[in-house]
Amino acid sequence: MEKLKSIIRDYPFIAFIIAFIILAFVPSVVFTDVYQSHLATLIFVNIVVAAGLNIVKGYCGQVTVGHVGLFAVGSYTAGTLFLYLGLGFWATLPIAIIVTAFFGVAMGIPSFRLEGPYLALATLGGGEAIRLFIENGNFFRSTFGISDIPTPSLMGYNFDSPDRYYFISMTIMIIAVYFSFSILRSGVGRAFMSIREDPICAAAAGINVKKYKILAFILSAMFAGAAGAVYAHMPPGYIHPNNYTVIEMVTFLAMVVLGGLGHIWGGIIGAIVITIVYDLTRPLYKYQLLIFGLTIVLTILFMPKGLGGFIDRYFLEKRFKKKTGTEKTT
Amino acid sequence: MILKTKQLSKSFGGLKAINKVDFELPKNEIRGIIGPNGSGKSTFFNLVSGIYDSDPGSYIEFDGHDITFTPPHEIASYGLSRTFQLLRLYQDMTVIDNVMSGYHTRVPYKFFDAVIGRKKIWDQERAIKEEMMELLSFVGLADYAELNASELSGGQRRLLVLARAIAMKPKLLMLDEPAAGLSPVNVDNLMKIIMQLKEKYGLTLIIIEHILKVVMDTCNSVTVFDHGQKIAEGTPAQVKDDNAVIEAYLGKKMDDEEMRKALAV
Repeated sequence: MEKLKSIIRDYPFIAFIIAFIILAFVPSVVFTDVYQSHLATLIFVNIVVAAGLNIVKGYCGQVTVGHVGLFAVGSYTAGTLFLYLGLGFWATLPIAIIVTAFFGVAMGIPSFRLEGPYLALATLGGGEAIRLFIENGNFFRSTFGISDIPTPSLMGYNFDSPDRYYFISMTIMIIAVYFSFSILRSGVGRAFMSIREDPICAAAAGINVKKYKILAFILSAMFAGAAGAVYAHMPPGYIHPNNYTVIEMVTFLAMVVLGGLGHIWGGIIGAIVITIVYDLTRPLYKYQLLIFGLTIVLTILFMPKGLGGFIDRYFLEKRFKKKTGTEKTT
Repeated sequence: MILKTKQLSKSFGGLKAINKVDFELPKNEIRGIIGPNGSGKSTFFNLVSGIYDSDPGSYIEFDGHDITFTPPHEIASYGLSRTFQLLRLYQDMTVIDNVMSGYHTRVPYKFFDAVIGRKKIWDQERAIKEEMMELLSFVGLADYAELNASELSGGQRRLLVLARAIAMKPKLLMLDEPAAGLSPVNVDNLMKIIMQLKEKYGLTLIIIEHILKVVMDTCNSVTVFDHGQKIAEGTPAQVKDDNAVIEAYLGKKMDDEEMRKALAV
């Protein structure tokens, strides 16, 4: 066990390969119908978005409310590339990631001068502008949406049903989470955090604040772009501007806040919980926004660091007590 | 000379916060800066470290680099480190992360390696962490490494800020009121740690401090500011007897008659 631990410490991707193998057996062992695979794919897409949002909001502290716009850019890049050029998933995914990264730059530039709620307003405008642009543009099939986006196939095997597409979304999710972990655990993650805590002091400590802010936006945009492409190609392959409204943004925010802002697992825990709750409360659709709004407010009030921080705190206090023999009261 | 300013000026609207200051600091010296509140001591720090842009016509040179209009992160990468009067602690980060973020300019690996997550990176990260833990135990905070910085007491925060500034192995360390709000025992302890760090890393120090005992005992030389201007400079003993300094900062000794008049009003 100790040996395994030290191997994983040196080569963290081994842990992700183990996770991959475990998740690969989940559909055949646990799931009872196709709908659960579909739900799992949605969870994976949300995990990718939330992991990206955690980089820019949780770690770098830039309040962005336009992230759903970047998600839409990813989806519609994939959608239009199929519509006009007939490209498949393996071509649209990387292109969507790159295109969304450029939109991330545009979304990040206001953060040089704006902070907190003002930045939130600017990005909210950006996100909504993207959605309205899509909704009113014939090029993007406006409110008809783009349909029949094909599922990917690999070496003659077509991932054309939810239980097969599960493997695509799961793989992308594992890769994305791996990247987010290694970025956030390195010095880059620390630089993001110090910008969140105090940009002036961060600059005096040798961190190029503008560069790292824009880097955070680009990285999180790339995550959103990947998630958007996976979402667009998900069977039945239909995307519509209504899937990218502020309501979706609120659920993304609820995920990151509930999971724990600035916690490495934050977005992942939140995405799992919120997606399942979202699905269970479908009959109460009138009250869904109320539920998520309340979730955000109550979490910030009573668990400011979210579920992840709450769990961490428990173990930390135990360790501290063991080490020093004193109770930490605060 | 490690730090040199010529005709350094900064005005906020009509107020000349710093007015044509020429300042020179040789290597390995401990320089104290004193002066009344609002005399431009902290502004001087902010100008040198690049937080503020100085007015046209100013010139700042650090260790052979012209840093007059250089952004703060580049100045830091030349080896200039500073602390802030209001600490600017990273409240929501753990103590060890606080110190490790001070290491930023010395992080050896490239961003792309970090994204891929190569083994090399984790080895280097562990080495950094070990080094920083050593630094923490040197200032006496090793037990608190995993706590949030916001949970430390006032004195511990001062030590943490000091450790964070040292982490980048600077050539010049500028301390803005390092001992403000500390009890006499803690002040002695802090100054002892600062002196040990100076020996260990071969630092040059500039200290702004209102506790005159600290300035007079530890500094090789003292600069006095008043109304944005340098009014005196010299050894502590010289400065203590300077009439302009007594007038502006130290206060003059009243005789009985004057004292009675002052109290009657």
